[in-house]
Amino acid sequence: MKPRKLLLLSVVFLAQATALADGGAVQLRTEAGAFVITVFTSPAPLSAGPVDISLLVQNRDGLEPVLDADVLLALRAQPSRSEIRAQASRQKSQNKLLYAAPVTLVESGKWQIAVTILRNGERTAAAGTIDVAPTREMVASYWGYVAFPPFMIVAFVVRERLICRKERG
Amino acid sequence: MDPVAAAVLASWTLDLRAVCLLLVVASLYLRGWLRLRAELPHKYTAGRLAAFAGGLFALLSALASPVDAFGGLLLTAHMIQHLLLLMVAPALLLLGQPVLPLLRGLPRWVFKDALGPFLASREFRQVGRAMVHPVVSWLALASVITIWHMSPVYELALRSQAWHEVEHACFFWAAIMFWWPVVGVWPGHAVWPRWTMIPYLALADLVNTGLSAVLSFSDHVLYPSYQLAPRLWGISALDDQATAGAIMWVPGSIAFLVPAVILGMRALEAGRTRPLQRTTTRRSAVMRHIPAGKPWDLLRTPILGPILRYRHFRRCLQAAMLLLAGAVAVDGLFGPQVTPMNLAGVLPWTHWRGLAVIALLLAGNLFCMACPFTLPRDLARRVVAPRYRWPRRLRSKWIAAGLLATYLWAYEAFSLWDSPRATAWIILGYFIAAFVVDILFKGASFCKYMCPIGQFHFVHSLVSPLQVRVREPAVCGSCSTHDCIRGNGHQRGCELNLFQPKKLGNFDCTFCLDCVQACPTQNVGILTGLPGQSLREEHRGSGIGRLNRRPDVAALVLILVFGAFVNAAGMTDPVMMWMHRWHGRLRLGSMVPIMTAVYLCGVLIVPGILATACGWVSQCWKRETVTRKELACSFTLALIPVGFGMWLAHFSNHLATGWSSFVPAIERFLSRDASADYPPGPIPGWLPSVELLFLGMGLLLTLHSAWRVACRISEGRRRAVAVMSPWAVVAGALYSAGVWIVFQPMQMRGTMMMR
Repeated sequence: MKPRKLLLLSVVFLAQATALADGGAVQLRTEAGAFVITVFTSPAPLSAGPVDISLLVQNRDGLEPVLDADVLLALRAQPSRSEIRAQASRQKSQNKLLYAAPVTLVESGKWQIAVTILRNGERTAAAGTIDVAPTREMVASYWGYVAFPPFMIVAFVVRERLICRKERG
Repeated sequence: MDPVAAAVLASWTLDLRAVCLLLVVASLYLRGWLRLRAELPHKYTAGRLAAFAGGLFALLSALASPVDAFGGLLLTAHMIQHLLLLMVAPALLLLGQPVLPLLRGLPRWVFKDALGPFLASREFRQVGRAMVHPVVSWLALASVITIWHMSPVYELALRSQAWHEVEHACFFWAAIMFWWPVVGVWPGHAVWPRWTMIPYLALADLVNTGLSAVLSFSDHVLYPSYQLAPRLWGISALDDQATAGAIMWVPGSIAFLVPAVILGMRALEAGRTRPLQRTTTRRSAVMRHIPAGKPWDLLRTPILGPILRYRHFRRCLQAAMLLLAGAVAVDGLFGPQVTPMNLAGVLPWTHWRGLAVIALLLAGNLFCMACPFTLPRDLARRVVAPRYRWPRRLRSKWIAAGLLATYLWAYEAFSLWDSPRATAWIILGYFIAAFVVDILFKGASFCKYMCPIGQFHFVHSLVSPLQVRVREPAVCGSCSTHDCIRGNGHQRGCELNLFQPKKLGNFDCTFCLDCVQACPTQNVGILTGLPGQSLREEHRGSGIGRLNRRPDVAALVLILVFGAFVNAAGMTDPVMMWMHRWHGRLRLGSMVPIMTAVYLCGVLIVPGILATACGWVSQCWKRETVTRKELACSFTLALIPVGFGMWLAHFSNHLATGWSSFVPAIERFLSRDASADYPPGPIPGWLPSVELLFLGMGLLLTLHSAWRVACRISEGRRRAVAVMSPWAVVAGALYSAGVWIVFQPMQMRGTMMMR
């Protein structure tokens, strides 16, 4: 196996990985003021570490998506009271009807989530609780990259055996 | 436009990695198609190209367009995505007859050396034939569609991103298998008569119709996730499900029935299948004689080539670097002694190191090309010519290896990275040393025998893809002046005594391009070569001899390889805490003794013991003509890639996390304002993946080089495996250590201002 092949295969391998998308599992759906607010989290199941929180804000009448609101998120860990504040925006989301905010949840357990929506000078708030599982092992998150060398070694061994067999035959 | 509609249409996510993959595939196809079109214009028409491009676009639309973004909220969008993956993309891709163009588009060595043994194997062909047998491919598609539309399995894909990707992969590859016999993809011949594809398609449509009917006429929501999802525009989950069923039914049936009709019409016209057999014969010839391509020459590229060939290009580059080095030294000596605020704390340790290793990976030894340290001595040599030759006894890498080990130790023991003033003194010391040595001694004695930075680049440029080398060896055969090494009236020759026709790899090459300028026939270029080729060769190279018989080079390599891991481990929390624990236990006044012990063991003693032990084990199976020294030196060279992988991972970590730090540091330097705000940069999420990839690639290249060395010095493959195994264990252990380091919390240690 030649080095440039390794490079090419690594590019192909790298390209197979996909980015974390917004959306994900519905964690909270509530009616507050004039809005229906749905909170999604990704990855599913939600675990401590970098996560993506996205929200769909709809008018209560007609369920039209609201696209011109300012959406603020406050997350508080119940065990340690550590708090994260973030502004969710449509620029950060794949689905442009959603407001997304990537945050890092530092610990597992129950987290209180508070959503504040500011629109036309009016303030609407909603709150709920989400369960966060313990952090996934980093090796588990990057298993594909760790498994890449052994996979290539096996492929190389098979290739050498095929060549050997051809030479004998 | 209505803002909601605009938002929907804007919901594209062009994932860089997916786009890169599609671009690579498209380029390969285009390259192969152009080559085949020259030979078989009637087969490789513009229509084939358009079909393949359309297939790629359909694939991109399925994975990156709003149908993907809305797939979790609307079953209708998800169904459109599935139809693109099942019906549109695979059929269009196969209509492009992609096998031969993709194979011909690959570089020759990939096709022949890497894929050749697999493609030629009996098992591969049998599996391939079985997979596209109409019975197997029909069952594959039918079962994939049926199973993935069952409620629990579909829910699994909706809840888990990983399973969602598995679902899409199943759809796409099962569809490729299904459409293969329908389209009649070359190479291969029809197992069944063409008319049998009509019932084949009709039966598949029956399965599709059955599933569509279930979705359309069900009186309850089959997939609970859509019940929970917020409803958009007042569309109920049940209406959404019925619409999805209708989409699956009508366009899905059209996708099956239209090809069936076309095949039926063609079946009525006799003799249409004969040209396929003629093409099969022609194909074999087309694939057998793939011409060897010429290496790519950087100096012949349109814009960069003339710039690089410009006579004063290197001087300009060095002058720019000299100015930068001057600014760094001035700021280091007189600026604030706060690392992230000082140019001497930021530019050398965060940017220069990271960019230098990336340049080594992508091109070659670009640092030495732009080296500012040799510019003052070059200017001085116009007035004072050096009189002495470098002492014969010192013509080795031992001094450089000692200096390198000392530098690695001093870096950690005296926290050079955290001391702008010390950094400035190192830079000034470098200028003075280069000046003094090269004013006294002829040639590039400092570069070749002393410079630790140069040695770092010489060693690692052995795995770089570009080499300064001869374009046409035959032209050099008729050369009698040898200007490339002797120089001539207007241009000096190679100062490092590398005679171009006998040059081996990049070792000791500073990319100064003196040989390029001196060659009267313009026969020297910057050409692509196989990275790491010279690690496994035993030829004598001009100016360097046989690398695999030089213990000084082996020592240098061992210091660099193990230094990479010790240096990176020193940044991790567990290692730092461990060192501090020992510091406390031994009640030492300073950390220097601990650091000294760690570096002595990690960079000198342990590598020395390991190399000796591995050499001792390996010699039991080697050929008698190979000495133990040669064996150990050869395998030590093979360790370079895994060490380089660690340097890349380490320095790219600093570069990626602190790349923006130069802006405030330069602003402060120019304005002399020390009160600016320095926000920490975000740590990119892709960083661990890239670091692991660097390490993995390094390990694979190391193992490959070791295997080639083992095959060369032992008789038979079994003995080769035995000879290389101790070195493979060392490489594996280094790789494991590297993976462990990547997953540890890193201390940025002064390269970032933390709030």
